[in-house]
Amino acid sequence: MTQIIDIDIRGQICPSCLLLTLKELNRNSVAVRAGSAEIVVTTDDRQATATIPATADRMGFRTEVDQADGIYRIRIFGGS
Amino acid sequence: MEQGSLLIIASSLVIGLVAGVVMHRASFCVTASFRDLFLFRDFFLMRQMILLVVVSMALFEAGRLAGLVTIHPFPLLSAPSLANLAGGFVFGIGMVLAGGCVVGSLYKMGAGSFASGLAFAGMLAGSAAYAEIHPQWSAFAKSTVLVKDAITLPQWLGVQPVALLLPLALLGGLWLTREFRAGRMDRPAFAAGHLAPWRAAVILAVLGFASYVLIGMPMGITTSYAKLGAGIESLFAPEHVAAVAYFSLQPLDYTPPFSDQAIRGGPGPQWDAIAAIQYPLILGIVGGAMASALRLGEWRLQWQLPRRQLLSVLVGGVLLGLAARMAPSCNVWHLWGGVPILALQSLLFLAGLLPGTWVGTRLLVRFVVR
Repeated sequence: MTQIIDIDIRGQICPSCLLLTLKELNRNSVAVRAGSAEIVVTTDDRQATATIPATADRMGFRTEVDQADGIYRIRIFGGS
Repeated sequence: MEQGSLLIIASSLVIGLVAGVVMHRASFCVTASFRDLFLFRDFFLMRQMILLVVVSMALFEAGRLAGLVTIHPFPLLSAPSLANLAGGFVFGIGMVLAGGCVVGSLYKMGAGSFASGLAFAGMLAGSAAYAEIHPQWSAFAKSTVLVKDAITLPQWLGVQPVALLLPLALLGGLWLTREFRAGRMDRPAFAAGHLAPWRAAVILAVLGFASYVLIGMPMGITTSYAKLGAGIESLFAPEHVAAVAYFSLQPLDYTPPFSDQAIRGGPGPQWDAIAAIQYPLILGIVGGAMASALRLGEWRLQWQLPRRQLLSVLVGGVLLGLAARMAPSCNVWHLWGGVPILALQSLLFLAGLLPGTWVGTRLLVRFVVR
């Protein structure tokens, strides 16, 4: 079963979103790459919806961005 | 009210509203463009900032040559001193800790960020507090003047502005064309109603030019932060505010375009030319960003904030307020207004801003975001 790691960074100042996401990503990179874990970032920061996917992409992860009720959810996962 | 003042108020308000919407849609953040250079080695936003400066440089100089820009260099600039460098340095630290500069915090506050609202309160306090150290600081500024009788680099070198600005704008244009062709000016974005930052940079440059033509100077807002701070302080200590020398200064004294009457203004709490120019701009930026966020259904007040970040934005805000008076003026005034005409004060501010931002990022990762 895939473990979901939730990071809620609503309201926090820039650049908490990218810094905290990177921290979790580095800590769990093996599991995320293997597909046994994925990271879901909840944020209201519009900037993060561009910087997080761009950075995760460069590190070889895949991302999906959804929006509901004005809140963004960025899913970071591995696999091919 | 005479027609000249009405034109100033109306232009400022409209320019502010458009800027507020544009910055919100593009997440156009000057702080991020400098901070991310050091923090993530990410040059994406800095390229947009360079685009803004190059387009402004071309527009300002073309406008001057065509006779549309009548005041060159624009008011409130003076001889360069070490105060500009030191102000830029402190400003750099403050904007990173506050999570946004004096303008960025305005649009983020308009979009519902409590953290930016707190930073704004810090800026008002810092700006008003500067009045207490103004006598010493202005003595330092006077004793460290680097070049007398020259405000811009072309003036100092004794050449026509166009002789420097045209080659620089052309070089910048060539470099930017290369960056566009290589696909480095755009990146995927998933935010609703997103505006590409390069489009925002061009629109903001046009807004700065409109401000220069209609009001006689590009966008600036921080003297009125001192003014607002003084207004609040005078509710509690009116005699002190009346006695502090800084609040009775009137550094702005000029005849705006489309008017034949000189107008004056300064950091004191009264309604004057500074208030007429800057208050509508501030209201416009906050209101434009708020309208943009409401329209996207993204406006909501977010209170949850780690304690370290609360302290960081407050300290950052106070530093920004202080630095904006020490410099004097803010990053938007210097980078989007002064650098495009190669004002020496603005170039020094930029030289201080870079190491200041670096120190700010060190403090941020060490103490704030952990």
